[in-house]
Amino acid sequence: MDTLNSLADGFAIAITWQNIGLALLGCLLGTIMGALPGLGPSNGVAILIPLAFTLGLGATPSLILLTSVYYGAMYGGRISSILLNIPGDEPAMMTCLDGYPMAQKGMAGQALSISGIASFVGSFFATWGLIFLAPQLVKIALLFGPAEYFALFALAFATLGGVSSTNQAKSAFAAALGLGLAMIGVDTQTGVPRFTFGEVHLYDGIDFLVAIVGLFALSEVFIFLEHRHGNADASAKKVVIGRLTPPWSMIKRCTPTMLRTSFLGFLAGVLPGAGASLGSFISYSMEKKLVDKEGTFGTGDPRGVAAPEAGNNAAAGGALVPMLALGVPGSGTTAVLLAVLLSLNITPGPLLFSQNPDVVWGLIAALFIANFMLLALNIPMVGIFTRVLMVPPRILMPVVAMVSFVGIYGISGSTFDLLVMVGFGIGGWVLRKLDVPLVPIILGTLLGNAMESNLRRAITIDNGNWGTLIDSPLAIGLWSIAIIGFILPLIVGKVVKRGMRAGRDTAKDDENSLVD
Amino acid sequence: MTFKATRLSLAAALLGFTALGASAQDFMPEAPECIAPANPGGGWDFTCRQVGKSLQDQGLISKTMQVVNLAGGGGGVAYAEVVNKRDGDEDLIVAASTATATRLAQNAYPGNTMDQVRWLGTVGADYGVIAVDADSDINTLPDLLDMIKNDPTSVSVAGGSAVGGWDHLKVLIAANAYGVEDVRTVKYIAFDGGGEAVTQLLAGSVQAFTGDISEAKGFVDSGDIKVLAVLSPERLEGEFADFPTAKEQGVDAIGANWRGFYAPADISDEAYDGWVAKIAALYASDEWKAIMEANGLAPLDMQGPVFEEFVADSVQQIRDISTEIGIIQ
Amino acid sequence: MSDRIFGAIGVLLAIAFALSALAIQESFLSDAVGPKAFPLIIAAVLAISSAFIALKPDASPKWPSLNRFVEIIAAAVSMILYAELLPVLGFIIATIFGAAYLTWRLGSSALESLIIGVGTSLGIYVIFHLVLGLALARGPLGF
Repeated sequence: MDTLNSLADGFAIAITWQNIGLALLGCLLGTIMGALPGLGPSNGVAILIPLAFTLGLGATPSLILLTSVYYGAMYGGRISSILLNIPGDEPAMMTCLDGYPMAQKGMAGQALSISGIASFVGSFFATWGLIFLAPQLVKIALLFGPAEYFALFALAFATLGGVSSTNQAKSAFAAALGLGLAMIGVDTQTGVPRFTFGEVHLYDGIDFLVAIVGLFALSEVFIFLEHRHGNADASAKKVVIGRLTPPWSMIKRCTPTMLRTSFLGFLAGVLPGAGASLGSFISYSMEKKLVDKEGTFGTGDPRGVAAPEAGNNAAAGGALVPMLALGVPGSGTTAVLLAVLLSLNITPGPLLFSQNPDVVWGLIAALFIANFMLLALNIPMVGIFTRVLMVPPRILMPVVAMVSFVGIYGISGSTFDLLVMVGFGIGGWVLRKLDVPLVPIILGTLLGNAMESNLRRAITIDNGNWGTLIDSPLAIGLWSIAIIGFILPLIVGKVVKRGMRAGRDTAKDDENSLVD
Repeated sequence: MTFKATRLSLAAALLGFTALGASAQDFMPEAPECIAPANPGGGWDFTCRQVGKSLQDQGLISKTMQVVNLAGGGGGVAYAEVVNKRDGDEDLIVAASTATATRLAQNAYPGNTMDQVRWLGTVGADYGVIAVDADSDINTLPDLLDMIKNDPTSVSVAGGSAVGGWDHLKVLIAANAYGVEDVRTVKYIAFDGGGEAVTQLLAGSVQAFTGDISEAKGFVDSGDIKVLAVLSPERLEGEFADFPTAKEQGVDAIGANWRGFYAPADISDEAYDGWVAKIAALYASDEWKAIMEANGLAPLDMQGPVFEEFVADSVQQIRDISTEIGIIQ
Repeated sequence: MSDRIFGAIGVLLAIAFALSALAIQESFLSDAVGPKAFPLIIAAVLAISSAFIALKPDASPKWPSLNRFVEIIAAAVSMILYAELLPVLGFIIATIFGAAYLTWRLGSSALESLIIGVGTSLGIYVIFHLVLGLALARGPLGF
């Protein structure tokens, strides 16, 4: 058992008082940054790089600090999703869909606990996957050429129909809007500016964080303003906290979900260019497809909270596979971690495991330590988190707005970004009034550029032949899942659905949730 | 950007260095900042972080170098920011490379020219490589170029820069030197960085890779890819000595990607000389030599006015090549 | 009715998007697909889905009354002012005003709003600047 010996060595390296202290610090800071809208895992890690250098930390302690921040932020993102309906970072977007309805039903504590457990399960299995499967998994990543990536992204968009809205035209509109927004900026393939109107700030494109914070957080503020004379204040005060720990039966019911989505999220993480957001998205939509027979997803189903959280934390672990084994970052955060490794004179790549075993195994041990620490921190703190709900919205909402502004300004230092964010806030308010789902917009801005680049690469490689998109068994497989699993049922089931929709429309209470 | 010019300017640079006054030695930026005009993980980001860390380790700056990633427009956003908004900021340096010179030469930074900033110095160079998968039937650079010559659609070449960027130009320069008639038919696929391009080479989506030695090094060591040619004037030293140059295979193509820095115009001469002295001192240190070796950077030592002149020459040279090849009119 | 107007705006947006996609200046050296094709596909999806929305509208949402509407516009304007004044006034002062305004408009008394504004501003300053070390806007007074 070579691997286990190496792992034991890793723990020997990682377990010192200094390292445990760093892991604790990283977990705490990471959780805070994950929970604050506008600061996600990648910014969180980037912000703390100078700290690691200032403290004069060596390679392993630096990595322990920064990976604790990374995992902490992945845990923290769910808190504001569940309590405020505002995702703390982009992978936590899907947790809003069932987490916020659960909180409104007085199950905020249980939602936080079950998502904490799901996060732990996802990370735990992903770390074992990283240990035992990294070399084999790299081969999976190598099966994906441009055409396969394009098919994968198309599959992600195909699953949208099942996820977010009863009106498919509005889902499609939102996805197209998001993709269109992603096109703004300098074309990565040929370097020509597109839709920038000569504005140099747009050359870089629109940062999806600006879009998320504007669409979710600021529009929430506008909705409260709109309802001030109504009963927003009063009804929010009535929110019951309820019990904090989930009943055993709930955990049991969520266990198969957590295991399945850990696996799926991990796979999504392993593919460079897919990342944690796609991991949580695919986990949610696949799980809904698989187990949501009664249509309870989106109304506060605990499985709808467990699925994306296990998925995105597993993807976070999976994203370390291509970073360590190929030197290719699979997500924004791993790109930052890669930069850290490089500045510590460690070159990730095929030889990292044999050339720098102390770093790799120390890092893996740190992942385990951070994960257990986060579980130990998060479950007892659920009670404190839920106190947020006791704060009346007239105080909470301005704080949310200001935190959003600071989060964006602190990263980019750009007034222009803030103005764009206000624009997204207004737009988000209008779209929510019109019952247009916001999730597809974010998915579009997140994936748009990668989707287009891979389409163009695939077709250029095959000399302009569009048939290349369905030329490999893997691509055909992905397209088949998309069409047979998701597109056809929409068309076939349309007649049935239309009847249901007519009934639901009249009874719908408007914009209390992202989905109806 | 030939090697001869490098050797000559090395002597000149040393002269320039010793001539710096005492005031330059006293210059100490209050809040040193390095703009990396790309996302974390790329060459510019590496340059900023590595140099920032080394400067601090050696006590050349007193505070941690704040690295700011300002991606977009292949460095154009950062360039415009420095020219328009950060003019006169003495705490700021910006990572640059041959890619910066390429864009300036092709007028890809709208309205900006190279004399709007002050060029500080280099910290090394990365020679270009052309590589194929380890299992490929192609064994020499002429093999590959023959295939391209006979049927340009049969070979896809992947690189980490946009179309018309430096990675693309390198393979075009080689094709041009080999006598491929219309080099624009060479099929180039742009990826987001050299790492992704190599991965797609391993995945079999493309047949060849054009990039820098530092990007390819890890995969050469592991035996995953095979270097057909290094675009250096003579064989490199140390562990790279096994790689044949393009020149010895009869393809007279040289491509060096220097890495260095510029600073805003309108900073005081004291600040300019101070930064130049710091970069020169860094370059001369043994620590930096070790970092260069670990990362496959070849020597290229130019600071101050010599570097300004060198950049001007490179810009002119790339403009000539680009016009000849037909990328710009 | 709302959906019909929304759909019509969506179609116009799609047309505008397609037109500016066609206006993209193509570089002399391009790939096989070029920078225009994908935006045009998106424009088509946008147009078709907008047309669907216009032809098969959902029930209209309940739009706010005029004074509530003005309230929202005023809040948006205050946020724009906040963004513009942030680099001028510095973070703390600008945030006190920004937070106090929103708190006041959400139904707190004037004095209460001011206290909450100061508290929010200082709280964020401590967490983001002093703990996390983010560079916030520095005003004339150095904070």
